[in-house]
Amino acid sequence: MGRRGESFMRYSIFSLARNAISGHHRWPRQWPDATPREAYSIIIIGGGGHGLATAYYLASRHRISNIAVLEKGWIGSGSAGRNTTIIRSNYGLHENEAFYEFSMKLWEGLEQDLNYNVMVSQRGILNLYHSDGQRDAYVRRGNTMVMHGAGAELLDREQTRRIAPFLNFENARFPIMGGLLHRRGGTARHDAVVWGYARAAAALGVNIIQNCTVTGFQRDSQGAVVGVETTRGPIRSEKVGMCVAGHTSQVGSMVGLKLPIESHVIQAFVTEGLKPVIPNVITFGAGHFYISQSDKGGLVFGGDLDGYKSYAQRGNMPVVEDVCEGGMALMPMIGRARILRSWGGIIDMSMDGSPIIDRTPIDGLYLNGAWNYGGFKATPASGYCFAYLLANDTPHETAAALRFDRFREGRLIDEKGVGPQPNLH
Amino acid sequence: MILKGIGYVDEGLQIEERQNVAFASILARKNQNGETIGELIGGSLREGPLTTILGDTVYIGTGPGSWLATSSTKATDFADNLATKLAGRASVSDQSGAYCVTRITGDRARHLLQRGVAINLHPDVFTTGCAATTVIAHIAVVIWQIDISPTYDIATFRTYSPDFRHWLAHSWRSF
Amino acid sequence: MRIVCPYCGDRDTEEFIFRGEALGRHPGLNSDEYAMFEHVYHRTNLSGKTSEHWYHVQGCRNWILVERDTLTHTIYSARLAKDGES
Ligand SMILES: Cc1cc2nc3c(=O)[nH]c(=O)nc-3n(C[C@H](O)[C@H](O)[C@H](O)COP(=O)(O)OP(=O)(O)OC[C@H]3O[C@@H](n4cnc5c(N)ncnc54)[C@H](O)[C@@H]3O)c2cc1C
Ligand SMILES: [Zn+2]
Repeated sequence: MGRRGESFMRYSIFSLARNAISGHHRWPRQWPDATPREAYSIIIIGGGGHGLATAYYLASRHRISNIAVLEKGWIGSGSAGRNTTIIRSNYGLHENEAFYEFSMKLWEGLEQDLNYNVMVSQRGILNLYHSDGQRDAYVRRGNTMVMHGAGAELLDREQTRRIAPFLNFENARFPIMGGLLHRRGGTARHDAVVWGYARAAAALGVNIIQNCTVTGFQRDSQGAVVGVETTRGPIRSEKVGMCVAGHTSQVGSMVGLKLPIESHVIQAFVTEGLKPVIPNVITFGAGHFYISQSDKGGLVFGGDLDGYKSYAQRGNMPVVEDVCEGGMALMPMIGRARILRSWGGIIDMSMDGSPIIDRTPIDGLYLNGAWNYGGFKATPASGYCFAYLLANDTPHETAAALRFDRFREGRLIDEKGVGPQPNLH
Repeated sequence: MILKGIGYVDEGLQIEERQNVAFASILARKNQNGETIGELIGGSLREGPLTTILGDTVYIGTGPGSWLATSSTKATDFADNLATKLAGRASVSDQSGAYCVTRITGDRARHLLQRGVAINLHPDVFTTGCAATTVIAHIAVVIWQIDISPTYDIATFRTYSPDFRHWLAHSWRSF
Repeated sequence: MRIVCPYCGDRDTEEFIFRGEALGRHPGLNSDEYAMFEHVYHRTNLSGKTSEHWYHVQGCRNWILVERDTLTHTIYSARLAKDGES
């Protein structure tokens, strides 16, 4: 099914058995590393999860495969390969919940769709509450989730204890009163998501071009975007879609786009591998701390943003302290685990904390961004809706609210209700 | 061990909680400064993170145009008197109930404090008459140096003083 | 990262709250809707040297105008915001 002589093996129990016999030395390359052609129908800037998913859905759902994905480093070198892999559909506002529930449904069929094991694990997400007010807020959020078919259960203290007996229920300041359980939430393997989309897109003829930084745009006499300038030469294209996440403003500035976005850094941490101890994803409701356990056994956790704009993919010490204090307050047993690594990733925080999938004011240029700290779970729906927009020039119904004009018209999608302060969302 | 504000004495280190200290904050009005305000109380208030001693009152610089005045005279009308004197040039508000003051003195005082303060207290850069508004273990503090023993006074908001004492005991114990 | 507060001196970032890009003055209540929208929502958000406001909450409680590189975290200057832009 591959183009230009590249063969794509379909993964199955038989291919696994065949390769086991040959000692796993004969697996073919998963996708070819393409060199740029002179022109494409559509160029996608950014080979993170969203860019690759967009290319895949354009090729598979809209039969457009004359596409290049241009990535400045290697695919998945941005936040797609740095996040804490949580997927969920537990938002409180209709515009978000409709979109994230659509994404969750795509996750549920993704492995079959891509013929790739992206290790979707619906182990459940437990958001803890520590006060009456917080419980009431979770009841309301849970109702939104139920209305969108996502499912939600409100647990009391004893039900919570049965799931996670190791939590510090006796904390005098922040007693655990219960939790909101989102059973269909969980994790997926971030790198596999990148590779799975890349392989499936390449199999349909998409060119994935790595080490190719977009440095500018080609414009026609009307000002429309008709191609890009790159470190590997100019490439023409009828349409260009931006999927550069944390670098949205930077790439946007190449055509003078002003955007409601600030780039911030968020950190993540992983401990040495341990036997299974944490059954699902748990979030602390009284501090900035959330945790899950990877299939390799490492405890993967994180917390708040560093709090100020950053393009440096590393974080600061005060947040390390804050996250660790949160962990100790919630589950003192974590103090016995040793942290192996910590890192930071750049994220595109928006003025209301919600994403944008829209045409820009410039003809030929489309934007997918403002994913905040939660864009990994959005990957399938984001790619699906952005592909729809690129193919049809009208927004997909699920993403119809995720547009630029909401800021100007005052229809913000502000889950936390904190206003235009990106570092507080 | 220091407990319940009674105090602790050890070789090279003495810790006590000062009792009955009056406090008032002074905020300069527009176009007023340490000099024009100081005139009304018999001197000039130094600008910057420094202390000025006038009579029995210490004026601690806490920000541009702001000072924290403190006195151990025990007078209940401390802030009112100051407000009357500075009328028109500065706004004064009584803070007497708001702070607790811990005095730390002795050879090892700096060493102890330096475990919590993320600014340099070396005598070359921080000495008698210097002040700092900063944090210790996330607790807001105002520190000013009284003499070269060295002796430091540390004011914390009253509701945080148990936490501050907890930090103090913990740090001292791990000497 | 440490910021040299013009009043307090060399301090850890933990003492400050980031208040965003130094946007200049509010366009005023009589300005047109678009000017207000731009002021409230649009940011340049560049990678490199930028001017920002930081609030020294655990210090002198003043707003500081800081010139900082958002990629390297180098701090070029810090002065009291109330002393104006230049
Ligand atoms: C520490 C951390 C934890 C997170 N945890 C979660 C989580 O648990 N759940 C969740 O849902 N989300 C999470 N996120 C957010 C999520 O990772 C991002 O929102 C999402 O990955 C962004 O989309 P992407 O995968 O397309 O981005 P990226 O992988 O960042 O892709 C953008 C790509 O664009 C490329 N690029 C940039 N500029 C150019 C240029 N000029 N030319 C060519 N290419 C360019 C970059 O190199 C990059 O590869 C987390 C993020 C971080 C950093
Ligand atoms: Zn200061």
